[in-house]
Parts: sequence; C-alpha cells; structure tokens
Amino acid sequence: MSGEKQGVSEKIKQLVIARIKAQMPPNLKLSMGFENSLTKEEMIEHVKAGDEQGAQIVNMHINFIKALTSGKLMKEVNSV
Amino acid sequence: MQNGLIITLPQCDDATEYLTYYSKLVTKEAEEKGIKIKEIHDDELNLKDFIKIINKLDYNFVVFNGHGTTSSILGHKSNVILKVGVNEELMKDRIIYARSCNAAVSLGVECTKNSNGAFIGYIFPFVFYMNEQWSAKPLNDNIAKLFLEPSNQIPISLIKGNSAKESDINSKKHILKNINKILRTPSEPDTPFIVEGLWNNYLGQVVRGNGSVKI
Repeated sequence: MSGEKQGVSEKIKQLVIARIKAQMPPNLKLSMGFENSLTKEEMIEHVKAGDEQGAQIVNMHINFIKALTSGKLMKEVNSV
Repeated sequence: MQNGLIITLPQCDDATEYLTYYSKLVTKEAEEKGIKIKEIHDDELNLKDFIKIINKLDYNFVVFNGHGTTSSILGHKSNVILKVGVNEELMKDRIIYARSCNAAVSLGVECTKNSNGAFIGYIFPFVFYMNEQWSAKPLNDNIAKLFLEPSNQIPISLIKGNSAKESDINSKKHILKNINKILRTPSEPDTPFIVEGLWNNYLGQVVRGNGSVKI
C-alpha cells in the first residue's frame, strides 16, 4: 500500500472513530456477524486495531458516504 | 421435493436470539398458509443432524438464521451446517434465504449451480443495531425492528407466493421506506448509524440462481 493510501486509510479510521465517539448513543449495539454484538467502546477498539470487524465498520461507513455524496441514497429512497 | 419450510433457529448469543425471535413472525405466516414447518433448534444445529433432516424431509424452502462466512453457514455456536465442498449439493433446486453474513459471495453461487433453485443472501455482513434496553424483549426493540422486518419480508413474500426476485425487491423497498421514515423524523443521535446499517443491507442483498422460482 502506498504512503498516500495508508494516510487516507488512517484518516478515515480517525473520522469513523470520532463519529462513533461523538454521536453513537451508549445503549446501541451493533450485530455484524460475530459471536457477540458490539458496544460503542468495542466498535472503537476494533476500528483502532484495524482488524476484520474494524475494517467492516469502516467499509460500511465508506459505502454510506459514497451513496450520500453521489446522490444515490436519496435517489433510491425517493423511488419508493 | 415437498412443499415445506425448514428454518434454523440458533440462540447462542444476543444476535442469534434476535434472529430467532423475529423468525417467529415468519413461521406464523407459514402456519397460516398451511405450510409444513420444521424448526431446527440448538441441539440439532450440527452438520450430521442437519444433513439427516434435509434428506428425510426434502422440503423445498430453507431459511438459515446464524453466523456465516463467504463459504459457510453456522448452526449452534461454531458448528458448520452448510459449507462449500461439503454439503452444498443438498440445496439443489431449493429456495434458500440465508440471514447470514457474506454467504451469498461463494456459498450462494455454489448452492445454485446446475439448479433450478434460488439463494437470497448477502455479499456483505448482514448488520443490525439493537437497543440494549430491549435485549430481553427483542420484538419490542424498535431499532432492531427497522432491520429485521425488511429481512423477514423475504421469506414472508415467498410464502405469499412471490418469486425469489420479487421477494428480494419487496424487502429492498421495505428497507428504503424505513430509511425514508427515519430521515423524515426529527434527527436523533442514532439516525446516521441506523441509516448507514440499513444501506449496508440494501447494497449487500442479492439473489443467486433462478430469480423467477416460487415455493
């Protein structure tokens, strides 16, 4: 991976962590196919560690931002 | 092959507890339509028993709840019950809905090779948020409901006589309606997380095999 890509990846991780820290209510838990669902703190730890679960959380965020900024999300939502 | 539903109902962690609770709405619909049902619970959710049940009952509709990978689906805890290269041929000509992460990537493809059946599943992790306050009563959890009702829509639409592709479309419309509903209500701190998760399931849900097949 190039230094630039690593930098971008690290920036995205930091963005996702900041968003979870600032916005996610403590009573929410995320189930994403592993044995136990994740608390807010566990989600942050996985993103920090960059493990499989952390990567999935980041990917979910990237897909959402892409859909939001491209207009695809609202186009689909307004189609029903 | 007989007209009937085989459904796996693991309860080994909070996520599978939720899936099993919400599956009651699916089995209720099947009961009302007079469809034969075989529920498979924890003690039978192992490879040996699963193969035995499929061979014995030979029902045409199989719903999996449980953890998954690109090439397998689990039953109770880490018991693999369906895996590429092991027993995927048992799914030939059946309609399958797998509420399991990533299983449509490879398993879904293999299950529908040389088959008239269909496999509806996910190429991403199937995600849902839950409100911890309702973990003892999952059906009252309005956050989880936003995710699990649209996924229930797949088997329920199939039971109502729709094709695999139509059921996939109905479910996706339900996801979009839920996103719309969330976005139109006054913003709560959890709104972006819920929308993001719903969008993940919308993008990841696919039909493999014969989309026009019905149960």
